[in-house]
Amino acid sequence: MTLVAIAEQAANGLIISTFYALIALGIALIFGVLKIVNFAHGEFYMLGGYSCYLAVTLLGLPPIFGVVFAVVILMAVGVLVEQTLIKPIHTGKVDRPDEYAIMITFALAIMLLNLANSVFGPWPQSPAPVSRGIVEFGELIIPGDRLSAAGIGILLIVGLLLILRYTWAGKAVRAVSQDRAAAETFGINISRVSMLSFGAGAALAGAAGALIGPVFNVVPAMGAVPAIKAYIVVVLGGLGSIPGAIVGALILGQVEVFATILIPDTNRALAYKDAYGLVVLILVLLVRPQGLFGKPERRA
Amino acid sequence: MTLFHKVLLGFVGLAAMLPLIGVPQYWLYTLTIGLYYAMLASSWSLLVGYVGRISFAQAAMSGLGAYVSVLTGMYLDLPVIPSLLLGVAAAGVLGLFIGWLTLRLHGAYLGLTTIAFGEILRITVTAEHQLTQGSRGLQVRPLIEGAGPATYYYIFLAAAVASVLLMLLLLRSRIGLFFQAIREDEDGTASLGVNVTLWKSLAFGCSTAFAGLAGGLYAHFVQLITPSMMSMQEMGYVLAMAVIGGFSNVVYAAFGGVLLQILLEALRELGEWRLAVFGIIAILMLRFAPNGVFGWLENLLKRKG
Repeated sequence: MTLVAIAEQAANGLIISTFYALIALGIALIFGVLKIVNFAHGEFYMLGGYSCYLAVTLLGLPPIFGVVFAVVILMAVGVLVEQTLIKPIHTGKVDRPDEYAIMITFALAIMLLNLANSVFGPWPQSPAPVSRGIVEFGELIIPGDRLSAAGIGILLIVGLLLILRYTWAGKAVRAVSQDRAAAETFGINISRVSMLSFGAGAALAGAAGALIGPVFNVVPAMGAVPAIKAYIVVVLGGLGSIPGAIVGALILGQVEVFATILIPDTNRALAYKDAYGLVVLILVLLVRPQGLFGKPERRA
Repeated sequence: MTLFHKVLLGFVGLAAMLPLIGVPQYWLYTLTIGLYYAMLASSWSLLVGYVGRISFAQAAMSGLGAYVSVLTGMYLDLPVIPSLLLGVAAAGVLGLFIGWLTLRLHGAYLGLTTIAFGEILRITVTAEHQLTQGSRGLQVRPLIEGAGPATYYYIFLAAAVASVLLMLLLLRSRIGLFFQAIREDEDGTASLGVNVTLWKSLAFGCSTAFAGLAGGLYAHFVQLITPSMMSMQEMGYVLAMAVIGGFSNVVYAAFGGVLLQILLEALRELGEWRLAVFGIIAILMLRFAPNGVFGWLENLLKRKG
């Protein structure tokens, strides 16, 4: 393998990592505040792809508005879901909150997937990307649509980190993730923070879907694989940890592009590509369930 | 036995009469598939409803039972019944192993781990295409050469009823009480001298063994299997069936499987919409009637009777 090929693989890994990080940050944000894993996150991502398709292909807006549109729509979907299905967990209205949270989000995922299948049909759609062509760095060639999508993704991630670090709402979110009871004592409106973080988490997934939709295709089943990747990322980094989600995404991106080299038969190497991360997921959960950056809990 | 149980028993009796009163073959085929889902949904509810352990690997375990049964038949020239039993054993042993491995994990962590195991199984079956034909699908010999739909229907009815009865026997024994005690308070149960490690692993193994049996029978009935029977989407259908029927009771979950499969065929003109509607119903059920349709009906009859 030449140096250029290695650099190209590494760059591909970095681009993929950006999208993994966007999706994983949403899961981490939601877990941090609400202590639930959203199993419908992949379907939020898929809805983001379709929002972009609606805005760009059907309404004829410029591609960048596809991303904005997806963020707005998914924020609304997230808030709606949180208010109707997730809020009852924290107000003591359901019997077995742990199982309820898992099953309701899983059922929501199946519902959204089949809804998209009914409304849009199973055919792939490809909305126009933000930019086309290729970008050359010396001998290194990167497709422009991927690079611009990853660039916007990085901007969104930096924006989120700044919001969490410096704004009042961001501080409230971090406070609730660290200690729910103490945050409440200090006058933070827990139910508003919960709504906000679920909405923001969904919006991040939507942004990722809208960014990748034009690069690959928009289909109803597009959410399954990235969602599982994002679960791997958050578990690796530590569930609920924001820096963990970013570091986890960087690791998984590189592992995936380079681990394919391990199996000489290319067909099988490609087929097993998605399995490496799953092995990582199981190992982390068994050996160190709090991940790289998480707080150890008495019971995982 | 309450009135409601008699009604349900009546339905099973009615089901046994169906081929005799000239139900079309198409519907017998549909019902046979429904009985496959009944076994799968009740095996899932055995784990989730009674032990309180979540698993998203149930469809994958059914697929494992199917592929082990078919591949041992093909490559080791075993007759159908021993290969079927090998499939059950493989699913049971792997389930026991996963149950033991994940003893410390709860809730969402367990859900994620079982998703990982299920997906690894599916990816492996897809990737080893020299052995399994990958996503092109594998031709399977029939359970019985030249048997008609009525024969298969009776075999599946017998297998489903036997599976559910076995589960009920297990649940009525001391072991069943251990399961439910673990669900309510694991530490408390351990403090009373119950071997929580053993029963938690065993519950996983039992549940997956039943899933493996369902999958093996299914493979030899439809005679073409693909890795898509192990997908998370398939798992979603099983979850919806168990939830709509009532996942806290193996009998209700089984009836949920048959009910949904019948509705799925009867509402064919609605196309993909029916699946979206089932998703909505499952969500509403979880939120407002966690005991499912049949649990709700039982309560209704109890209040009247």
